[in-house]
Amino acid sequence: MTTLLILVPLIGLILVNLPFKNARRTTFWYAVMLSLMQAYIVLTSDKIIWEGHFDPIEEYFKFNLKADNLTLVMLLSIGIVAFCALMVAKHMIKDEGDLANFSNLIIIILAGMNGVVMTTDVFTLYIFLEITAVTSFIMIAFFRDKDALEGSFKYIVLSAVATVLLLASIALVFMVSGGTSFEAINRAVHANNENLILTAALALFTAGLLIKGGLVPFHGWLPDAYSSAPAPASVILAGIVTKTTGIYSLIRIVNNVFGFSGSIKNILLFVGIITIFVGALAALGQKDFKRMLAYSSISQVGYIVISLGTGTELGLIGAMFHLFNHSIFKAQLFVNSAAVEKQAGTRDLDKMGGFSKKMPFTGLTSLIACLSTAGIPPLAGFWSKLIIIVALWNSGHPVFAGAAVLASVITLGYFLVLQRKAFFGKLAEGYEQLCEAEFGLILPAIILTLITVAVGLLFPLLSNNTLIPMSHIF
Amino acid sequence: MTDQILLYPVIIPVVAAIIALFVTNAKGVKEGLTMLAVTANLIIAVMLFNKEMVFNMPWAGFGFDFSLRLYHFSSFILLAAAGFGFLVGLYSIAFMEGKNSLNQYYSYFLITLGFVNGAALAENLVLMLFFWEGLLLVLFGLIYIGHKDAYPSAIKAFVISGVADVCMMLGIALTGSLAGSLNMTKIHLPLEGLAIAAFIFMMIGATAKAGSMPFHSWIPDAAVDAPLPFMAFVPAALEKLVGIYFLSRITLDLFKFTPESWLSTLLMVIGAVTILLAVMMALIQTDYKRLLSYHAISQVGYMILGIGTGVPAGIVGGIFHMINHAMYKCCLFLTGGSVEKQAGTTDLKKLGGLAKTMPITFTCFIVAAASISGVPPFNGFFSKELVYDGALERGWIFYAAALLGSFLTAASFLKLGHAAYLDKPSGKQEVKEAPLSMLVPMIVLAFLCVLFGVYNPLPLNNLIQPILGERLEGHNFAGFPHSAFLVVMTLVVLGLAYLNHMYGVKKTGKGSGASDHIHYAPGLKGIYAMAERRVFDPYEIGMKLMLWLSVAARFVDKAVDWIYEVFAVKTAESISYWIRELHNGSYAVYLMWSILGLTLIVVFFLMW
Repeated sequence: MTTLLILVPLIGLILVNLPFKNARRTTFWYAVMLSLMQAYIVLTSDKIIWEGHFDPIEEYFKFNLKADNLTLVMLLSIGIVAFCALMVAKHMIKDEGDLANFSNLIIIILAGMNGVVMTTDVFTLYIFLEITAVTSFIMIAFFRDKDALEGSFKYIVLSAVATVLLLASIALVFMVSGGTSFEAINRAVHANNENLILTAALALFTAGLLIKGGLVPFHGWLPDAYSSAPAPASVILAGIVTKTTGIYSLIRIVNNVFGFSGSIKNILLFVGIITIFVGALAALGQKDFKRMLAYSSISQVGYIVISLGTGTELGLIGAMFHLFNHSIFKAQLFVNSAAVEKQAGTRDLDKMGGFSKKMPFTGLTSLIACLSTAGIPPLAGFWSKLIIIVALWNSGHPVFAGAAVLASVITLGYFLVLQRKAFFGKLAEGYEQLCEAEFGLILPAIILTLITVAVGLLFPLLSNNTLIPMSHIF
Repeated sequence: MTDQILLYPVIIPVVAAIIALFVTNAKGVKEGLTMLAVTANLIIAVMLFNKEMVFNMPWAGFGFDFSLRLYHFSSFILLAAAGFGFLVGLYSIAFMEGKNSLNQYYSYFLITLGFVNGAALAENLVLMLFFWEGLLLVLFGLIYIGHKDAYPSAIKAFVISGVADVCMMLGIALTGSLAGSLNMTKIHLPLEGLAIAAFIFMMIGATAKAGSMPFHSWIPDAAVDAPLPFMAFVPAALEKLVGIYFLSRITLDLFKFTPESWLSTLLMVIGAVTILLAVMMALIQTDYKRLLSYHAISQVGYMILGIGTGVPAGIVGGIFHMINHAMYKCCLFLTGGSVEKQAGTTDLKKLGGLAKTMPITFTCFIVAAASISGVPPFNGFFSKELVYDGALERGWIFYAAALLGSFLTAASFLKLGHAAYLDKPSGKQEVKEAPLSMLVPMIVLAFLCVLFGVYNPLPLNNLIQPILGERLEGHNFAGFPHSAFLVVMTLVVLGLAYLNHMYGVKKTGKGSGASDHIHYAPGLKGIYAMAERRVFDPYEIGMKLMLWLSVAARFVDKAVDWIYEVFAVKTAESISYWIRELHNGSYAVYLMWSILGLTLIVVFFLMW
């Protein structure tokens, strides 16, 4: 099963691009089917098929893939967000050829991310990271306009640095462990306590992943990339790509490979809290809808990292839960911004106003997503933030816990600014003809909102059945 | 008979009340329902009289059981409350006819009755508190529906009673934790250490419910604003019953209360002060209902004084005075209601000559007034003699205060009767006697006043003396007072009151001015003026203090607002601006940050 999640997209990619007459037309629908199937399989499948033992294909393709609970959650998120990005693409990209190309990119990035979350080997991880990264460069610069090229270029520059760091780190690790699988490295770490080379390798790897995840001070590329990318690319980038390449990998590397040490915890806590505040405060002053969301994204990723930094089981649960929630509501906000951009033709918050009257669904869904991000009960974001704050408190970091609460007030602050400027109040001049976006563009927003609300309301059920087992990884 | 019958006195009125609340239009249904409920309640109370019974049901957990206990004292309160409920319910039918919010009136009336029953029966202190506090809500409601401007009085009553109830709650919590049980029969604490605080808190709660000073000031205001049967029913009768009942329970059962204790002296001082100050205020009132309401406060003083003495004569006198007071004060308020209904006013300056047109009301008034003034052989005389007896045993000063109170009481009722019933009327309107359903309750109460006086062994031997049991020390207070000195002094005082009244009438020429020479006496005049302006009203003083506090709190609040609305916003804005300035879009700068961050991380890892 695990191997199929990579092979099916890749083989399908070749098939739909064969020079037959109507093959390319089917690309979009093939991508939609892939994303939906992925979500469906994760939700309904038996656990046993993820173990990889009864898989005949495994015999021929030695990817060494494995899927535990955390992986499944990531696979689910990837499926959902990819579907939403496709829906947005369908309505934002008019040209049929462009749409087919974009769908191709989504199929590749889907396979790349699936590889990232399922691999058990640092070098394979590196390869899938690169597949994902290169695809995102192209996605950002898809329409080749000046801003997009600039944003893409910034991403490439910093990503190159990350690549160097990761490769260097893998080389260092290989010197000591003699293998690149997670298990081998983990054994080496246990065998060589306080080894200088391994410590340096961890530092480099961490820094590389922090660049990929866009944490302060490695975040310079992120606002430009997110805001200049075409709308569907923003959805998938902000929703899942950076979370998978940066944050998921970080969780995996820290938790399963190198293990928690005092210094890595401190670094994560410190980077996390700075990221939360810089992101939130920067978001407070933004005038551009998508730029504000981009900074908000930075700030929320800080929460995930700070939670990971506690090194406790509860902190791990909080990090994963917030990762899932964040990919849902941030993807949704970017869908909303796409709807607004398409209907109103602007992203400048100062020019907007009262859009809720004309675009009730967009207004309502974005409000719910904002409240969820700010951690208002009973929405999903409240529970994950609560877990994070409790984890911080229990692990003996009351100051960080307090700061996290304070930052969520700032979060509420900038999102209320966003809501007030864009959706509340009197209708801005010149928008009398504004109308709600097409159904296809509202649908993903509604689906994502429903997920946010349902996860929030059903949290007591989820906490025992899904969240707690999530921490038993590998 | 099963134990569950103990639930009926609570459930029947409350269920009827809930139904009555939703009957807004149909005529006669509310009244019929009310009469049905009070009659059923009365029958059950009679059946239960002098029985011993316990009912237990798990309730809120934590030792808060729904436990009721019937014994002679609670069955006595139950019977008395049922009697008043029946009579005032009957009276209300004619009196309240045509008034607004009738469904609310009857509903609150019945809930009051049910909750008083519950409070009297409750064995668990928390359950008692539940009913006790529940009374507060209907108290507010009953005053509120008086007329459209009655809500300040209602709020006043609510605030004052609420404060007292908080004290009660604290007292109960303390007692429960000290005794390790919330069941009243299991508690008998020695008065030392924290138990003293618990006693004082509960004493405040109980005396305040009975209407003693300094928690009295809502009563005169409510007298003017609330529907009159409410006054006859709640502050005059049921609140006295339940308040004094609980005060007796505290002093007799819950604590080892002895005459030697300083708390006994404290109670007596409260009693004596309440008697004197309230009766002084009553004397100068020129409104029928307001005058009565001050007496409702003043008379509580006798009960508290009596119970506070801690000696058998005093306690018996206090409890006896409670039931006597409830009867004559209820009767007096009902006569006031008749006058209001028939003559259209209760202003003494406008009333007059009602003795001829309303002879039955007048007769009832005479009986009740004689009782409250302590004229032999009416019931008030006997209970007051017992209180005097107890007070004199503890100190002549308390006796003197009580006696002075009697003098002023008699004087004020002479004035009231003279002004309302005997003087020439100022208007010329035709006044008829009240309808029968209003007369019957008055006649019954007046009859009981005579009965309890002339044949006082009946109540004393059957109702009151069993409550004390062993503490009676073999005394029997039934029959005519033993001390000739006390009787003579009482008669002298009554005579003096009459002379004083004649002097006042002669001076001003009219009954309503009989107290003017005291009202405008040098020295007193200024104090009275201030009292009338509510300068001494603890509620008004509290409200003024609250105003100052709220002004002070406003400053603090503004400072806090400034921190949130100006300081925090400005700080966030300037940091936000600074961060935005840093993001200038230069690759080099971003790259530099990353390298710097990387360096820091590597250094950190290698150093630690």
